[in-house]
Amino acid sequence: MKIIGLIVAILVGALLVYAAADFPAWSDPASPASTYLSPHFIEKTMEETSVPNIVTAVLADYRGFDTMFETTVIFSAGMAVFLLLRTFRREEPEARHYRHVLTGVTLRVKEGGELPPSDDFERIDSLWTPHDLIIKTVCRLLIPFIQLFALYVIAHGHHSPGGGFQGGVILGASIILLAISQDLRTAVKRMAEKLDALLCSVGVLIYAGTGALCLLLGLNFLDYSALASVLHVDSIMARSHGILIVEIGVGIAVMCTMIWIYNNVSSGGKYNQGL
Amino acid sequence: MSLQYPALIVVVPLLSALVISIAGWVNKRWCFPITVAALAVAAYSSVGLLFRVLDEGVIVYKLGGWDPPMGIAYYVDHLNGLVLAVVSIVALLNAIASKKSIEQEFPEKIGPFYTLYVLMVTGLLGIVVTGDAFNLYVLLEIAALTGYGLIAMGGGRGPLSALNYLYMGTIGACFYLLGVGYLYIMTGSLNMVDIAGILPDLYQSKAVMAAFIICMVGVWIKMAFFPLHAWLPNAYTHAPSASSSLIAPLVTKVMIYVMIRLILTIFTPEFSFNILAVSKPIVWLSVIAIFMGAILALKERNLKKMLTYIIIAEVGYMVGGAWLGNRVGMTGAILHIANDALMTLCVFLAVGNIVYKVKGAEFEDLQGLFRKMPFTMGAFIIGAISMIGVPPTCGFFSKWYLISGAIQAGHYGFMVALLFSSLVNVVLFFRVFEICFYEPFSDHHGHGHDRHPEPMDEAPVTMLVPLFIVAAILVLVGLYTGDIVNHIIEFAIPKGLV
Repeated sequence: MKIIGLIVAILVGALLVYAAADFPAWSDPASPASTYLSPHFIEKTMEETSVPNIVTAVLADYRGFDTMFETTVIFSAGMAVFLLLRTFRREEPEARHYRHVLTGVTLRVKEGGELPPSDDFERIDSLWTPHDLIIKTVCRLLIPFIQLFALYVIAHGHHSPGGGFQGGVILGASIILLAISQDLRTAVKRMAEKLDALLCSVGVLIYAGTGALCLLLGLNFLDYSALASVLHVDSIMARSHGILIVEIGVGIAVMCTMIWIYNNVSSGGKYNQGL
Repeated sequence: MSLQYPALIVVVPLLSALVISIAGWVNKRWCFPITVAALAVAAYSSVGLLFRVLDEGVIVYKLGGWDPPMGIAYYVDHLNGLVLAVVSIVALLNAIASKKSIEQEFPEKIGPFYTLYVLMVTGLLGIVVTGDAFNLYVLLEIAALTGYGLIAMGGGRGPLSALNYLYMGTIGACFYLLGVGYLYIMTGSLNMVDIAGILPDLYQSKAVMAAFIICMVGVWIKMAFFPLHAWLPNAYTHAPSASSSLIAPLVTKVMIYVMIRLILTIFTPEFSFNILAVSKPIVWLSVIAIFMGAILALKERNLKKMLTYIIIAEVGYMVGGAWLGNRVGMTGAILHIANDALMTLCVFLAVGNIVYKVKGAEFEDLQGLFRKMPFTMGAFIIGAISMIGVPPTCGFFSKWYLISGAIQAGHYGFMVALLFSSLVNVVLFFRVFEICFYEPFSDHHGHGHDRHPEPMDEAPVTMLVPLFIVAAILVLVGLYTGDIVNHIIEFAIPKGLV
């Protein structure tokens, strides 16, 4: 079986290389890809959408419909992971473990038992590894700056490389870093499961809803120029603003999906301390 | 509003899927009504769109208001008008029919399940409606990802077979994407009609030929065409009823639509049939697919798994019909997309009812079912005779066109394969009927002597009514085949193909 697989792989590779002989040369300025549509985008993007970054304009406006569905792909992935992994039927453990943070004493509380009323206890799993003070502190210091940078990446997509996907991933990474450096329960306390899941949908909803709003305002789906009457700008500027709105939607959706997937995968759907 | 039908078909299910996922956290009871409403709007729009296409011809919808090839455009002609109507109606009927089984199988995950369900329908409708080769790939990803999730929800070996499907499906989608990449390098365009306009000068290019082969192989993996079929039987058998009766009728059929779209629109019949001399070998491959599907189905002792092998044989019918290279064969293939979707839905819904009540689809579980579930079995018989190809059910007519096409092309091997597969279907289904009809219901308490007549224990009305509607549609489509062919499919095939 291995040999057959190898032969098939070699044959397919040979076909692809053989066919590539007909390709235009590397960075050939006369190749179809650079003479057919690119000149239009290069010359007209500023004029038609008032976005200086051509890539952003192609991604979120000319081919914005594809991007909406790419966001939906990410959303579906998060949803599928949640559907498959999340366990709602708790196999109730006989006892819960609590750690007294100040002294490091672990209490084992039997089912039905209660803790003394104090904020100094944290819930832990039976297999618990202590936090590392250095990692914990450094991450706490870093996370706000990571998030600030993420917001910059989302907001500055019009002018420089960046945009909703990249910014969303960075934002998501900051929360995941919190979950790794402390534990999942700490991260979920900051970003509750329900909030995270709802924001996931809301993010894609901002994108698709903007498109639908254009449709309700009388133009085609995702034709941002329809937003001119709502935003009180001219129809070209409305395209630029429309792109910013959907980028924010993408950012929210991507951030929450990253966190959602991490939470479910790292705890096997149980939402305990994770990893 | 009818001007916006092409967008509504996709946008309404997408927005509803998001609302359903929110409703899943707020109040689970809202999920089902929203699902049905969204799919009903999609079905209404797609039927309305089909009638508009019949009146006005091809409809172009520019997304974002950009002219193609700058932006993405939807092209709706007779071919995808027909497939859109079939997909949306099948999805709607299945959503209503499987309400009870979803509540039974995963009560606490209704919200996410319906979200993925509606997203999957969005993906399938988007694949069919689009006129952009890359947009098709994006929607393919959505349909595939959600499909993996829906299949993996099945217990037991469900997750494992979904993982296997995931590997194969991903390879298939990658091949398609690679092919589109080759086409983009050679033409600079992603719009299907635009590519078709640029290609004639490049017909001799090796890269275009490679693009065609890679796209075709990718689509074949996705539709489980014979040597590439190994993922399908387990994935469809171990999926929960609600998923398998959505995925089995639609996914393979939509991929066959994509193949026909590649042949007819992007590469044109001139290139596919005349310049590339590959029609004959591909039809022979489909002959093997039909034979293997039929033979492998014979050895199965599980009703659902047996049906999955019949699907593999049916894929062979449609690939062969499309590649016969004549008008009659292509008509048969397109007609069979609609018919096969409906009859697969019919038998899988019936199996869903059986699994709901009996908790299994092994042949031993089926004993005495005619007395226990007479209505379900009645509809199952109609689906079965349609798969065998008995008039007046629709299965007969598409098979008729396929056989006529085979004779016209002088390809008698394909004709023999179709007849052989029909005979095997007779054996398969009558064996099932025999088990369900004659053998007494097994008594688990060991009182072999006093046979109580097993009381009737039929599936709920909400499961039966959609099943009856599908069974009725099977006969109706059969009776109106002439109209469908003359008014829709006749215009779906380019004039050049005779």
